[in-house]
Amino acid sequence: MSTWLKLVLRLERAIGAPIESAVHSDAYFDVVAELNRGTRRVTGAVESVSKRGLHLLNLPAGTDIRQVREQLARMDRRLLQISKKLEQLEGERV
Amino acid sequence: MALQLSPADLLASVNRDVERSYLRARNGLRYVRGSNRPTLGATPKDVVWRRDKVQLWRYRRDEPARFAQPLLIVTSLVSRSYILDLMPGSSAVEFLRDHGFDVFMLDWGIPDELDADNSLETYVDEYLPRAVAAVRRQTGCAELTMAGYCLGGVLSVLYANGHDDAAVRNLVLMATPVDFEQMGPMVAALREGRLDPEEMIDETGNVPADVLYSGFFMLAPTTIVAQRATLLENLWNDEFVRGFQAMAQWTRDQVPFAGAAFREVVELFVRRNALMDGSLHVGGREIDFTRSGATVLNAMAAKDTVVPRAAAEPIAALVGRPERRHELLLPGGHVTFGTGRSAFRHTLPSLAEWMAAHSDERDADGHQVVGAR
Repeated sequence: MSTWLKLVLRLERAIGAPIESAVHSDAYFDVVAELNRGTRRVTGAVESVSKRGLHLLNLPAGTDIRQVREQLARMDRRLLQISKKLEQLEGERV
Repeated sequence: MALQLSPADLLASVNRDVERSYLRARNGLRYVRGSNRPTLGATPKDVVWRRDKVQLWRYRRDEPARFAQPLLIVTSLVSRSYILDLMPGSSAVEFLRDHGFDVFMLDWGIPDELDADNSLETYVDEYLPRAVAAVRRQTGCAELTMAGYCLGGVLSVLYANGHDDAAVRNLVLMATPVDFEQMGPMVAALREGRLDPEEMIDETGNVPADVLYSGFFMLAPTTIVAQRATLLENLWNDEFVRGFQAMAQWTRDQVPFAGAAFREVVELFVRRNALMDGSLHVGGREIDFTRSGATVLNAMAAKDTVVPRAAAEPIAALVGRPERRHELLLPGGHVTFGTGRSAFRHTLPSLAEWMAAHSDERDADGHQVVGAR
């Protein structure tokens, strides 16, 4: 192993170890959770404004599309459950 | 002390450096361009059964398997199965196939909106029994060896003990967590309620792959620097670069976690640490982990940071009948079961040896010769 690589590896550990203990700490996860919530709040506020604008023009917003996708996914899952139930009933009959 | 190099040695050294510089430049360009990537999961195989997105693969072999009991590998729900078949010459599947096992692999596929309701029961009571039946149909063999990797190990424990007709002769648990109090900081944050599982689930109803990748990345965020530096040092070495590219691709290639199963994992495994009770309520019944008659091997990796040894160790006291419990501590980390120097020097030879000792051999006519259990 060359000298420069040994140096890099040693440096990485010297910096990496404290970073690891920081990102594994309780405080880090509290900050991440809070940041995520903050981002969601901001995104939600922006989406609500843009949604109103788009609805004024009779256009669907991203949230509408998302809702439709979720409803479709729920319906797909329900259909899948029913087809599996049918398959099971047919299996029991045979 | 002055260095004494003969002119011939000096010339050879200069030649080597020039050649390596050329190779570094060539491989560096290829790496940056993203070309010349290795083909992953390339061992020839056939899809022998499928349901929804789940597929059962049987790896092709030129001659009949030496061992009568087929080997079914059950992979984790949160990572791609090709870690166990990374690339030719560096593939656990290829290694085990070449050591005489008839290898099958259960690939869970990539969950989407349609799979958001998949719970532990879906995997344990719907997919696994059908996949095992398909293995038995394909091979005509009554019993099999089931090898579960990571979370796939937990599913294997639940299946083997939760079904009277499980037909699992040997249960190999590779880096399988049972004590979730010993798992990493992200799991601790989920347990203590600092991370809300509902906030991790997106509009598809699943935990996105990015979230899982971040969780693994945060275990050691700066190691990427050391990895890149090591790559730079070995850029002249084609084999090293191929291996690096393959691993880098697998590491980034996480799959979403089905929402319903994730909620159960958080509630049962993480918050209640219920696996440590030695039984679990799944699909309307209590599954006792000592119910199966299978011989159990708990294979742990000494330097595993994803599933630390302490999280896997209690298997020895919880799973299988006491007289049929075995343990193997292997060098290397979490991926030592699939790739790396240690995999082919220690891990896979040890696993193959154990499985061979607990399987029946076939004679020259292909008849089963009953061996030791």
